[in-house]
Amino acid sequence: MANKSKQDGFLKRFAEKWQANPLYSTGFVLILMIILQTIALGFNFPSFGAWFSSWGKNWINILRNNAGVGIVALGMTFVIVSGGIDLAVGSTLVAVGAVLMVLVNSYPTGLLTAAGITGFPAFLIGIAAALVMGCLIGSVNGFLIAKSKVPAFIATLGMMKICRSVTQQFMQAVGTKVPREFLQIANAKIGGEIILPIIYWLVIAVVLDLVARKTTFGRHVYAIGSNERAARLSGINVEKVKALVYVLSGALVSITAVIQIARIGSMDYANAGSGYEMDAIAAVVVGGTSMAGGKGSILGTVLGMLIIAVMNNLLNLVGVPPFLREAFKGFIVVAAVLLQKKEKAS
Amino acid sequence: MNLSMKGIVKSFGANDVLRQVDFSLQPGEICALLGENGAGKSTLMNILGGVLQADQGQIILDGKPVAFHSPAQSLDAGIAFIHQELNLINDLPVYENMFIGREIKKFANVIDHKEELRRTRELFARMDIDIDPAALVSSLDASYKQIVEISRALMMKASIIIMDEPTTSLTDPEIERVFDMLRTLKKQNVGVIFISHKLREVMEICDSYVVLRDGVAVSHGLVAETSIASIAHDMVGHDVRTETLVQNSQIGPEVLRLENLTQEPHYRNVSLAVHAGEVLGVTGLLGDGRSELFRTVFGDGGKYEGQIYLEGQPVHMKSTRQALKLGIGYLPRNRKENAIIKDMSILDNGSIVTLDRLTKFGIISRKAQRAAFDKQRQELQIKMQDADDMIGSLSGGNQQKVVLAKWLSAEPKLLILDNPTQGVDVGAKEEIYDIILRLARQGVAVVVLSNEAQEIIRVCGRALVMYHGDVRAQVSGETMNETNMMRLATGG
Repeated sequence: MANKSKQDGFLKRFAEKWQANPLYSTGFVLILMIILQTIALGFNFPSFGAWFSSWGKNWINILRNNAGVGIVALGMTFVIVSGGIDLAVGSTLVAVGAVLMVLVNSYPTGLLTAAGITGFPAFLIGIAAALVMGCLIGSVNGFLIAKSKVPAFIATLGMMKICRSVTQQFMQAVGTKVPREFLQIANAKIGGEIILPIIYWLVIAVVLDLVARKTTFGRHVYAIGSNERAARLSGINVEKVKALVYVLSGALVSITAVIQIARIGSMDYANAGSGYEMDAIAAVVVGGTSMAGGKGSILGTVLGMLIIAVMNNLLNLVGVPPFLREAFKGFIVVAAVLLQKKEKAS
Repeated sequence: MNLSMKGIVKSFGANDVLRQVDFSLQPGEICALLGENGAGKSTLMNILGGVLQADQGQIILDGKPVAFHSPAQSLDAGIAFIHQELNLINDLPVYENMFIGREIKKFANVIDHKEELRRTRELFARMDIDIDPAALVSSLDASYKQIVEISRALMMKASIIIMDEPTTSLTDPEIERVFDMLRTLKKQNVGVIFISHKLREVMEICDSYVVLRDGVAVSHGLVAETSIASIAHDMVGHDVRTETLVQNSQIGPEVLRLENLTQEPHYRNVSLAVHAGEVLGVTGLLGDGRSELFRTVFGDGGKYEGQIYLEGQPVHMKSTRQALKLGIGYLPRNRKENAIIKDMSILDNGSIVTLDRLTKFGIISRKAQRAAFDKQRQELQIKMQDADDMIGSLSGGNQQKVVLAKWLSAEPKLLILDNPTQGVDVGAKEEIYDIILRLARQGVAVVVLSNEAQEIIRVCGRALVMYHGDVRAQVSGETMNETNMMRLATGG
C-alpha cells in the first residue's frame, strides 16, 4: 500500500516536472531523434567494432559541424532570457574575423607578420584583439538597447547590416589566409580525431550553465527578463546587466570566429556566419527558452542545438535533398514550441 | 431579471471552496459580495459568469434554471462580468470598443462605423454619460474606462453586471463618477453585484450585502440595517482591531532628511525627517505625490531639486542600486507589476536583493541562500511548501511577505513601504503590522505610505498628510484621526 502510493507519487511528480520543465520534452525529442538516426545509419557492418566506429565518426562530425553555431547559441540564450534578441551575431562573426585576419594573415598585409611578430605571440595578440572587437560590437548593441532604449531587434538589425557591409568593403585587399600553425587551434588531433571545437563548445556550455544558474549576473538576467520593473526596484542595475548580455554574446561570437578561421584557414566575408542568428535563435527556442524572456536554460539550448543537428544528419542519411532540409528545420522549430507547455492564463 | 443561485457547491480537489451557498439578486438592486481573500467570492462569481461550473446547485434566472458552460453563454443570458483588469483596447476609439467581437457590419466584413457611433451616442445619452464616443480609450482616466466597460455590458443587453473591486485604482472623484453610473443603472432596473473590500463604499452605494467566509454565506441582509463593524466582524469571524498598536518606543538618531524636495508636477518643497525606531506615515488620496516622492528617495524617480540627507550626509539619488547600497529598502505598490518576478521561485524572489552577499568565489551558495531565506520565513511566518516552488503558487499575503523578506534580509536602515497591505487579507494585514512595529523596535526607520487612514493610525507614531504634491500637515496623537486626516487629504 505504502509502496503503491510512493509509486503514484513518483509518476505524478514526473508528470508535473514534465509540465513545468521544458527540458523533459526537449530531451525526449532528442532521444527519439537519436534512435531514428541510429536506425537510419543501419546495422550493416561486419562487426560491432566497425559499426561503433562508424557511429562514433558520424557523431563527431555532427558535433564538430555545429560547435560554432552552438557557441553563438549559448550567448543568444542569455540575450533572449533577458528579453532581447541579437540579430547581429552572424555579421559580428565576419567583423571579428576581419580583425583577426588583418593581424595574423600570412601575407605581408598581415600587420603582425609585417612587424616581425609571428607564431604563438602573434596568435595570442590576434585572438585577444578578436575578443576585444566582439565585446566592442556587443557593447555598442548593449548601449543602444539598455541606455538609449532602442528596441533590441532594431539595434542589432542595424549592427548586422553595418558589420558585414563595412567588413566586405575594407577587406578586399587583405589576404585571407592564416599561417598553418594557427590551424592547430582547432585541428590538433586528440585520440586521432579532430574534436577540439567540440571540447571548446562543451567547456563553454558548462561554464555558462553555471553562470546562468549560480551567479548574481545570471540570476539578474532572468529577473530582468521576467519583470524588468521589479528587477530595477530590487536594486538591480538593469542597464548594466542588459548591456553585459550583448557583450557576452559578442565575446562568444569572437570565440566562434577564431575556431572557424582555425578550422578552415580562411574566411569568406560574404557568406561566413550568414544565417547564424536564425540558427542560434532556433536552437534556443527548440531548447525551451521563452521568447518573452525570463525562462530558459543553457542545457536546453545545447539539447536544442543537438536536436536540429541530429535531424539534419538524419535527413542526410535517409536521402532528403538539401533544399528540403531547411523546411524540416522550420517545422521542428514550430513543433518544438507547440510541444512546450503553454502558459496557463490564470 | 431575477437571479437566484441555490445550494452552490464547488471544490477543487480536496479543497471545498463553496459549500451550499445561496445568493439572490433583484432587478435594480446593488448587492455587495464581501469576504476575505479566499472566502470564495471569485469562485461564486466565476460560476455565475460561466468561467467555472458548479459541482452542485442551481442557477435560476426569472424562474428558469440555466446552466452556463462558457462566459459567452452567460453573457448571452444577460450577465456581464467586469473584471478588475479592464478588457478595453487602448488604441481604439470608445465606440469601436463598445462593439469588439460583435461589430455591426454593412456588408461582408466591412464595419458600419456610423451605426456604431450612433448607437453609442444614443446609449451615452440615455445613461447620461459625458464621454466623446470618438475619443481614444487611452485618453480616458480609469473611471471613464470603467464606465465604458459598463456601457459595453449594457450595449450587449446585460441586465446583471458583476463588478470585481471596481474602485481599487480610482481616486475619490473618480469613484464618485462610477457610483453615479451605478445609481443610473439602478434606475434602469439593472442588477449589480459589487465585490469590494472597502466597506465604507459598500455602505454608501449598496442596498444589500452577502458575506462569505470559508465558502459559506455567513450573513446577509440590508445595508441600512447593519454597520461596518458588524460586517467586518462577519468577514473575519472576530472583532477587527482598530486601536493603535504604537507604543512609546525609543526614537534614535535621524536617518533620512529631505529639504525642499521638488519634482514638478508630482511634489514640491517637501521637507521631512525620519528617525531610527520610528514609523512615519504618509497619507493622502491618489495623485497626492507621495509615491513619486519616495520613489525619488529610492533612486527611481529621475531628476529632482532639493536635498536628501542620509544619516546626516548629503546624497544625490540616481539609481536603485545606489539606494540599496546606502541601506534603503523599498516595497513598491502594485505587487504584481513592481515586485513579483513571476518566472522565479519563492527562494529566488526572496533573495534577489542580497545575492551578492550569498556568493563564494562568485558562485551563489545554495546553502547560504536557503539559510538566509529560512530565517526570514520563520520570522515572517510565510506559509509555503517548498522554497523552490514558483512565487505564483502563494497567496497574495504570503507573496507580500516574500517581498518583505527580500528587503529585510538586506538589513536596511530605512525601509519604505508603499501600500504594504494592498491585496492582502485581514489576517495577513495584522501580521504585516506586527512586522512593521517589530522592525521599528529593532531600530529601523520605517516610512509607511498608505491611503487607508486606519492603517496609518494602527502603525504610525506620526503621519504627514499630502494633497496634490504639498505636505498639508503633520498629525499625531489626538489629531491623528480619520476625520481629520480625510479633511486634510481632500484639501480642507
